Amino acid sequence: MEKTITQRSAWDKVLTKLQKRSLWMLHYCTGCGAVELPPTMTARFDMERFGIMPMVTPRQADILLITGYLSVKTLKRVVLIYEQMQSPKYVVGFGSCTINGGMYWNSYATIKSLDQYIPVEFYLAGCMPRPEAIIEGFTELIDRIGEGKANSWEDYYKNYEFYRKNQEHVFGTIDTRTDIPDDAKYFKIGEVEK
Amino acid sequence: MIADNYLAHTADPRVRKPEAATGSPRIEEEIIKAIQDATGNESFSLKAPRRIEGPVDSDRLHTLASLIWSRVGFQHLSAISCVDWLAEDEFELVYHFWSYRDFCLVSAKTRIPRETASMPTVSDLWQPALFFERDIHEMFGVVFEGNPDLEKYILSDWDGPPPMRKDFITREFAHDHFHFRDYEPDWDELVKGGYHSNRGEGGTDV
Ligand code: SF4
Repeated sequence: MEKTITQRSAWDKVLTKLQKRSLWMLHYCTGCGAVELPPTMTARFDMERFGIMPMVTPRQADILLITGYLSVKTLKRVVLIYEQMQSPKYVVGFGSCTINGGMYWNSYATIKSLDQYIPVEFYLAGCMPRPEAIIEGFTELIDRIGEGKANSWEDYYKNYEFYRKNQEHVFGTIDTRTDIPDDAKYFKIGEVEK
Repeated sequence: MIADNYLAHTADPRVRKPEAATGSPRIEEEIIKAIQDATGNESFSLKAPRRIEGPVDSDRLHTLASLIWSRVGFQHLSAISCVDWLAEDEFELVYHFWSYRDFCLVSAKTRIPRETASMPTVSDLWQPALFFERDIHEMFGVVFEGNPDLEKYILSDWDGPPPMRKDFITREFAHDHFHFRDYEPDWDELVKGGYHSNRGEGGTDV
């Protein structure tokens, strides 16, 4: 039976309901914004009550949190990590540096908008966003997952060439060891050529 | 006096008190005199307690460095810094030598022309110079003769000019090289349905 990812069966609804309350977060803490995460995770704001917990490996994580500026060199690592993660996966751009370069807007070394290189589920504005904003963002994400709307990750399969081209523009070709066209076939998304 | 304050910090009896810090500038004078005798360079002088500074010709720097290196206590090349004097068309390299025995910093300043910026390495004396020189080579384009490894260091995928030179306009480079997000006044409407980059509207090429 053929089924596309956007048609939601009853099973999908059950699945997303379960999925939205069990999110594992991989935080890529290169930027200064990372200091707002400990209060978010620990007793004061207690992220765990939403079912969000930190995860140590990309393979088992659902959320990739990019906490600030990315230099070209770190972007390369982020792409590697992103491609290792299992879909569905959600990238969160954290702080104004990921949105438009922030205070590093004229730096020669940092990228200016993250969504040119990997699809971003949502951005948290602020320099840096407070734990309240993070919680707000995550509850919104939970709702969107429940409604089956949080599917920015499909965009990477659909427009792989676009992302690939932008990545190559800044750091050349890399072998990420992940077969994106094959993954796309598995999820029955788009026609992707490598 | 600075030296007195310094003593207050090192009240630990295990630390051997430098003679210079006890009020007599004997060690500084000794070092200045040693430099004078060995290299004939009379321009080194005391800038502050335990801070000796002076210019040196670029072809004499290695001789001076060996002299300082051979003096017991100067095990530490604490930094090499580079200054770009654009108007004078010169780079200034500042070598900071620190002595743990004498608690004394010697800064040797040397100038080299910008176009043919090259310098003999001091990594044969202090190994950490390998990294300092590699870094300066990457950021300013100064060639250090005799340094075995001047490969890319931090800017691993860089193909532009050395970015710390004053004539490198970082703003222009960033604008040519990276995609800039357009200002979207209705951003909060956009994000309601999930954020999508403005790919369709021609602002795509980075
Ligand atoms: S947005 Fe602000 S807090 Fe976050 S990484 Fe950039 S400068 Fe640092």
